[in-house]
Amino acid sequence: MMAARPMALAVLFAAAALAAGDLSAQDGDDLGEVTYVRWCAGCHGVDGTGNGPGAEYMLPRPRDFTLALYQIRTTANGALPTDDDILAIIDRGMPGTTMPGWENLLSDDEKEALVEYLKSFSRFFTPDEVPQPLDFGGATRVNADVLAEGEAQYQALECWRCHGNEGRGDGESSPTLTDDVLDFPIRAADLTENWLFNGGGEVEDIHRRMLTGLDGTPMPTQADLITAGIIDEDQLWALAHYVRSLSPDDPPGITEVVRGVLFEDAPLPSSVNDEAWLDVERAYLPLVGQIIVSPRWFDPRVDGVWVQAAHDGESVAVRVSWSDPNNSPDPEWADWKSSIISLMQPKEGDPQDEGPTPDQLMVQFPMQMPEGMEMPFFLRGDDSRSVYLWQWQSDRDGALEGEARGFGTEAFQSEGENLTVDASHADGEWQVMFTRRLVTDDEADLDFVTGEAIPMALFAWDGDNGESGTRGAVSSWYFLFLEEATPTTVYVYPALAMLLTFLLGILVVRSAQKREREGGEVVSETAI
Amino acid sequence: MSDRFELRGLVWPTLMLLVMAGCGGGDGGGGGDAGGGAAMEDPVDAATAGNIAGSIVFEGDAPSMAVIDMSQESVCADKHSSTPMIQEVVVNSNGTLANVFVYVKEGLESLQFPTPGPVLLDQNGCVYLPHVLGVMVGQDITIRNSDGLLHNINASPTVNRGFNSSQPVSMESTRSFGSAEIMVPLRCDVHGWMTAYVGVVDHPKHSVSNGSGAFSLSTLPPGEYVIEAWHERYGTQTQNVTVTTGETTEVTFTFSAS
Amino acid sequence: MGKYLKHPLGQAVLVFVVAYFLLDFGIEYIPPLLGWASAPIPNSVLLQYLITVGVGILLWVSDNDARWAEFKAPMHRVMVDPGQKTLRNSLMVLVPVLVAFATFNSVRPSVSAPTTLRAIHPSAPGQFVFQGATLQLAGLENPLRSQGSMEEHYEEGKRVYYENCVGCHGDGLDGQGHYAHGFNPAPLSFQDDNTIATLVEAVVFWRIAKGGPGLPNEGAPWNSAMPAWEDFLTQDEIWSVIIFLYEQTGNEPRTFEEEAGGGEAE
Repeated sequence: MMAARPMALAVLFAAAALAAGDLSAQDGDDLGEVTYVRWCAGCHGVDGTGNGPGAEYMLPRPRDFTLALYQIRTTANGALPTDDDILAIIDRGMPGTTMPGWENLLSDDEKEALVEYLKSFSRFFTPDEVPQPLDFGGATRVNADVLAEGEAQYQALECWRCHGNEGRGDGESSPTLTDDVLDFPIRAADLTENWLFNGGGEVEDIHRRMLTGLDGTPMPTQADLITAGIIDEDQLWALAHYVRSLSPDDPPGITEVVRGVLFEDAPLPSSVNDEAWLDVERAYLPLVGQIIVSPRWFDPRVDGVWVQAAHDGESVAVRVSWSDPNNSPDPEWADWKSSIISLMQPKEGDPQDEGPTPDQLMVQFPMQMPEGMEMPFFLRGDDSRSVYLWQWQSDRDGALEGEARGFGTEAFQSEGENLTVDASHADGEWQVMFTRRLVTDDEADLDFVTGEAIPMALFAWDGDNGESGTRGAVSSWYFLFLEEATPTTVYVYPALAMLLTFLLGILVVRSAQKREREGGEVVSETAI
Repeated sequence: MSDRFELRGLVWPTLMLLVMAGCGGGDGGGGGDAGGGAAMEDPVDAATAGNIAGSIVFEGDAPSMAVIDMSQESVCADKHSSTPMIQEVVVNSNGTLANVFVYVKEGLESLQFPTPGPVLLDQNGCVYLPHVLGVMVGQDITIRNSDGLLHNINASPTVNRGFNSSQPVSMESTRSFGSAEIMVPLRCDVHGWMTAYVGVVDHPKHSVSNGSGAFSLSTLPPGEYVIEAWHERYGTQTQNVTVTTGETTEVTFTFSAS
Repeated sequence: MGKYLKHPLGQAVLVFVVAYFLLDFGIEYIPPLLGWASAPIPNSVLLQYLITVGVGILLWVSDNDARWAEFKAPMHRVMVDPGQKTLRNSLMVLVPVLVAFATFNSVRPSVSAPTTLRAIHPSAPGQFVFQGATLQLAGLENPLRSQGSMEEHYEEGKRVYYENCVGCHGDGLDGQGHYAHGFNPAPLSFQDDNTIATLVEAVVFWRIAKGGPGLPNEGAPWNSAMPAWEDFLTQDEIWSVIIFLYEQTGNEPRTFEEEAGGGEAE
């Protein structure tokens, strides 16, 4: 079991820094420079322009420090960050990007020296000008009225133009957004995933960014609206509360097992929008870029899917939901797509924009329930253990069943007669529901068992993000567990145990009292 | 309420301006008021001054202008009587080039000019009016939203610090630049086609070629100047120009289709 | 308070509670304060330890008759004292309910993943095929250590690492890359002193070259997301990234002499 061991790591790092200085560092070198070259230059480049060897594998690209453009600040729009602002980014990293937090990896001295060194890349930082943080005030209380006011402001201030009606980053302007420096495509934040907000996901963080803007990105400051008297401070806080409310209260924990709820009396959900799904618990499974087999993909659009499952003893229904700004292929996103394809490394397989590509979802199970630990390789199986696949794509009706023994060996049955699918795209979200009988006549299908953990993996592609084939998002093995009816013994045993304990208690107390009456004060000397 | 959100950085410059204005008064500079630079007199003696006037000639075939698809923004589309076009290269009917920023690059270093009043940059019909704008360092730009729908004004300078402000309703914001910079690009991220350029120079002697390709730099002290013309696609050109008292020197820049 | 602590029952309860907290939380959190690695203990082990503690406590209190009598007197009083009737009746209800609850928790069907045992460091084969050529593991040395400039090998290794490895193993080489959360088992931390620091470079080379798909049978359940890098990298690129891994973490590879002399099992 891996536990977080920040202290241990910090000690190890310090030891590493001491032991390993011989190649890069000399006595008397600037600590900031040594730290930077050692730990930061791989992405940000030795010259600070954001062109390290790793840079082209990342989008957004690593920051160019020569411009002194910092997204996450406590200072006014366009102003330089304070030292504490830079330190906070080093400590916390930029969630949702490739920038990790260094809080436990670098010593305080190293981080302080690093701040000075980062500033030295830009002529904008001068000793006489000390950036001053804004006064943000305190968060207002939140209640239903405040959230309603916040939603009204979301409409009135037209946040939806980029972030979309429900905040999933699917607004009408989102396909053409670019950053200010490189003019590369940049995503409008998906406001339903606050754990990926790069400046923090709590209401204070959100409010702060609405006042400062995210410099270097299309996200503007709203401060002029307050200066001009168009909204007041409480209304801005209400908007911040509303944006916060679009995400879950807590970031979703990664659950290893998706529970397939048993519908004993009620019928299984019949469509993807069936209200019965509202009562079925959701499991969040993170997806990451497919970087294992060539050609790899370092810019997956889908970073996670919500999975629900239900069965009634006859059939199983699995609903998968995920944020995707559009239903690919969509001509509005054609420029975005070709940009992404041309910008991302590696160029394995010579990626070309070969015209319209759909969104896709694939659900994978082992072809045979594994005995012991012998599961198929999680990417489409291997020579000795094949996998069973469900495949859906946005430009085709129905879904396919198939089998594979490794990436590229997928063989789909002519028509998935045992598998039905219902899909809908609305407000930046795909919802896809598969339904299949637990047991089919087809020998090429997996027979689903109840009461056992069935390995399951998922793959998703956003066609208009340049994804198809091996270029997409993948998960490793998770499990689908189809519940069995609760046996009555589950209730009988506790009742029996309770009764027995109670009777035993009566017995013990009675006998003690009896002895007390008979033996009087000698009781304390009686051994049991 | 609102002052809480004003840039604290403004406090010091403002204080310093006040102090400087006070000192100026003490020197007997004559009626320096709290308005600071506004009271400064024009350093050019109109009696001895000359002018520069000219036009921007365009050679070759005019590139076709890209059409702006405003179909999703009917409020803006309705404001245009003809099909709105991308203003990157605007060749006038007389074969001249519009939207060329012309300014005195060298020759005015010794003079201190008063800062002119604010200049308007309008967002109307989902385009910037004007597309190319000249200002003096420190001169206020009034940025107006006449459309009543969301624009953001995103300035990405390299010499100055940028800004990116949201204007979701009909309103005005004021910004200025503290250092000379050729040119500061502005854009609206909501409407990807909306771009504008601001030339920031140390003096008010700048001009933008108009619908007949003409520009003028008036009331310059006699002497030698370097004049630069900047175009969004075709880059910059310079010419040495001599200005003599009471005369208007004609200057022609020629840009060729590349 | 002091009154209760002088009483054997109070002492017994205190010892038991302290033991519980030390076992359940102390083992996990105290060693890291001193810079040592640790992890929580499984519940089954915790139960065994607590039983041992309980038996020890009983041995101690029953070792002396007077102490034993004093120890059980409060419990006895609860059972017989007419003045304690309310407490007695409450316990008669509470205890059976707790027992029922515990029973329910242990018999109700649980939704859980099968426990998988997996060798994180499978032992390396004697020889393996690298890009078509058979290599003997024993005696396989990093050729870059005896040729060219170490600075250049380090820089080359850094390039290879940032283009290929950083997504999982992280900028800090701590296994916390931005894709690490997507994979189970989690990517290895090279900062841990039981990963590359315990290996000869030849084994590291084999693991990098063959990745997850090249693991021997004991490496099942075949979840490792480690690619087979022989499909992507040249031999020199792999050797240079190995130099980068050791240099960046301040670890030293083991040598074959240590391996032979130490006699330590993999």
